Amino acid sequence: MVILFIILPLIIAGLLPLLGKVSKKVLPDFLANAVFALLLGYSFNFAWNASAGKTILSQVNLAGIPLGITLRLDALSLLMLFTIALVSLGVGIFSVNYINQEKYSSKPIYYSLLLLTVAGMNGIVLSNDLFGIYVFLEIAAIASYALAAYGLGKEELEGSFKYLMLSVVATSFILLGISMIFALTGTVELNGIASVLAYSKAIKIKYLIGICSALFIMGFGLKSAIVPFHSWMPDAYSKAPATLPAMSSGIMVKAAGLYVLIRLFYNVFGITPAVQTVLMYLGVISIVVGALLALGQNNLQRLLAYSSISQIGYMVVGFAIGTPLGFIGALFHMFNHGIFKSLLFLNSGSIENATGTRELDELGGLAKKMPVTAGTNIVASLATAGVPPLNGFWSKLIIIIALVQAKFYIFALIGILASVVTLWYFLIIQRRAFFGKLNETWKDVKEAPFWMSLSSIMLALICIILGIAFPWFIRLWIEPAANVLVAGIIR
Amino acid sequence: MNIYILVALILFSVMAVFLRDLLKSAICLAVASIFLAVMFFRMGATYAGVFEVSVVAGLITVLFITVIALTNDDAKVPENKWPIIIFPVALAIFIIFDIWFMNKFIILPSKALPLLAQGEKFGDVLWGQRTFDLLGQIGVIFAGVFGVFAFFRRKTDE
Repeated sequence: MVILFIILPLIIAGLLPLLGKVSKKVLPDFLANAVFALLLGYSFNFAWNASAGKTILSQVNLAGIPLGITLRLDALSLLMLFTIALVSLGVGIFSVNYINQEKYSSKPIYYSLLLLTVAGMNGIVLSNDLFGIYVFLEIAAIASYALAAYGLGKEELEGSFKYLMLSVVATSFILLGISMIFALTGTVELNGIASVLAYSKAIKIKYLIGICSALFIMGFGLKSAIVPFHSWMPDAYSKAPATLPAMSSGIMVKAAGLYVLIRLFYNVFGITPAVQTVLMYLGVISIVVGALLALGQNNLQRLLAYSSISQIGYMVVGFAIGTPLGFIGALFHMFNHGIFKSLLFLNSGSIENATGTRELDELGGLAKKMPVTAGTNIVASLATAGVPPLNGFWSKLIIIIALVQAKFYIFALIGILASVVTLWYFLIIQRRAFFGKLNETWKDVKEAPFWMSLSSIMLALICIILGIAFPWFIRLWIEPAANVLVAGIIR
Repeated sequence: MNIYILVALILFSVMAVFLRDLLKSAICLAVASIFLAVMFFRMGATYAGVFEVSVVAGLITVLFITVIALTNDDAKVPENKWPIIIFPVALAIFIIFDIWFMNKFIILPSKALPLLAQGEKFGDVLWGQRTFDLLGQIGVIFAGVFGVFAFFRRKTDE
C-alpha cells in the first residue's frame, strides 16, 4: 500500500476543517501529528526492502480493478519519504504551541495546508510519471504559497506573491519541457521515456533533449533556489511563519527541485558531461553567493534562507561529480540539511514567539532566558558549518573528498573556505542573539513552550546521534539510495 | 477554424492580463479556457478538454469570483508599470519561439494523441490510465480552497 503515503495526508487534510468544528485545537494537533508519525513509521516498513536494492512498482487497485496509478518506490524515493516524514513531524510538534499565536489562527486550515504540502511532496517522490510529478508539485506549491502568507501581514503577502510569481515562471519552464518530452517520446512515464531515449540515436533528439535539460534546470533550479534562480527564497522566508521555511528549506526545495532534477538526469535522460559541468558551476556559485550574502543580513530568517542557498550548492556539487562517493555525500547532506536547517528555522520561530522580533540587532543575551533554544541552536549552527563530530561535518567531508578524488581541487578548496564563512555567520548569530549582555527589553522573556522545545531537542539529538552513528545510517539509508543513481537509466 | 480559435484564445488571455477590473479579467480567463478546451477537443485530447472546462473554466473561475467578492474594493493598490512593457515583449518572444523553434524540432509523431481515435473511451483513459492525475486534481482543489480560507479567515472570524 505505497499509495498510503499520498492518500493518508490527503484524506486527513480534507477532513480536518470539518473535524475542526468539533475541536478547534486538540484534535487538529493530534490528527496531523499522528499522520506524520504514521508516515515516518511506515517508511521504516520499507527500509529493509530498499536497502536490499529492491524497487517496488506499485499498481493501485480499487476493489480488484486496476487503476491508472503506478508508483515507484526505490531506495532513493524512500530516503526522501523518510526525510519528509521526519521533518514534517518536527514541524508538526512545533506547531502545537507555535500556531496558538493570535496572528496564526485557524489551526485546522493550517494543518490541512501542511498535510497537503506533505501529500504533494510524497506524490512527487513516488510518481513514475512526469505529468504526475507536475500535478503534485502544484499541490505542494499552492499549499505553501498560502502558508508563506499565513500571518497575513503586508510583507508576508508580498513575499508569498513573489514566491508565487517566480514559481509560475518555474512551472512554465517545467511544463514546456514536459510537453517537448511528450512530443518526442509519446509517453510521460519515466521508464517509458528512458526506454525510448535509450534506443534513439538521432542527433536532433539529442539536441532537443539538451533543450529540455536546460528548461528543467531553469524550472527545477528555481524550485531549488540555486543561484541565479534564488531571489524568491529570502523574501518568501523572511516574514513567513517559521514552520513554512522549516518545511520548505528543510525538505520541499529538495523534493520539488533537486530530487526531480537528479532523478531525470541520472535515471531517465542519462547525464552528459555538459549538464554535469553546468550543475557543478551552478552549485559552486550557489555555495559562494549564498554564504557571502548571508553575512550581511540582520533578519534571522533571511540569513537562514541565504545559508540554505549555500548548502543546496554543496548538494548540487555532490550530485554533479557523478561518482558514488559524490552521491553519498550529496544525499547525506540533503538529509542532514533537512534536519539542522529545519531546527534553525524553528528556533527563529521560538525567538520570535518569545520576543516578537527576528531582527538580530534587537536581540541579545537570550541564552540566559532561553537555554534550550540557545543550546539546540548551537548544535544546528555547528552542524551546518560542518564542525566535527556533528552530522553536517561528515556529509561535507564526503563531498570534499569526492571533489578531491575527481580532481576538482579548486572547487574542494572553495567548499572548505565557504564552510569557514558559514561558521563565521553562525557565530555572529549566536553572539548577537544569545550571548553577551541581556537586552533589558527581554528581561521577562521565557523559554519556548513545551512542544516547541521538544521539537527542537528532538532535531538536535538527531544531529548529534547521526554524527556518531553515521556509518550505520549511511549503510542502511544513503548507500542504497546512491546505488539507484549509480545504476543509471531505469528500465 | 483552429487559427480563429487560437486568435480568440490569445485575445481573451491578453485581455485577462490587461483589464483593470478583476471580475472582467476573471471572466476573460474563463472564456479563454473555453476556447482552449475547444482546441483540445478538436485535436483529439478529449480528457484534457474536459479537465480544462470543468476545472479551469468552472471551478477556478468560481474560486476567483469568490475571492474578488471577499476582497475589499476600497483598497487602492499602486500598480507597477513594468508588466505592461514586459508582457507584450514576453508574448512576442514566446510566439516567435513557438513558430520557429518548436515546429522545427517536433520530429516524432506522438503516440498518445490518437488514443481516443482508436476507439478508447474517455472513461477508460481517465480511470484506466490517468487516475493519478485525478488524485492530483483533488489535491489541487483542496489546496486552492484551503488557501482561500486561509487568506480570508480573519474576515470570516470577525
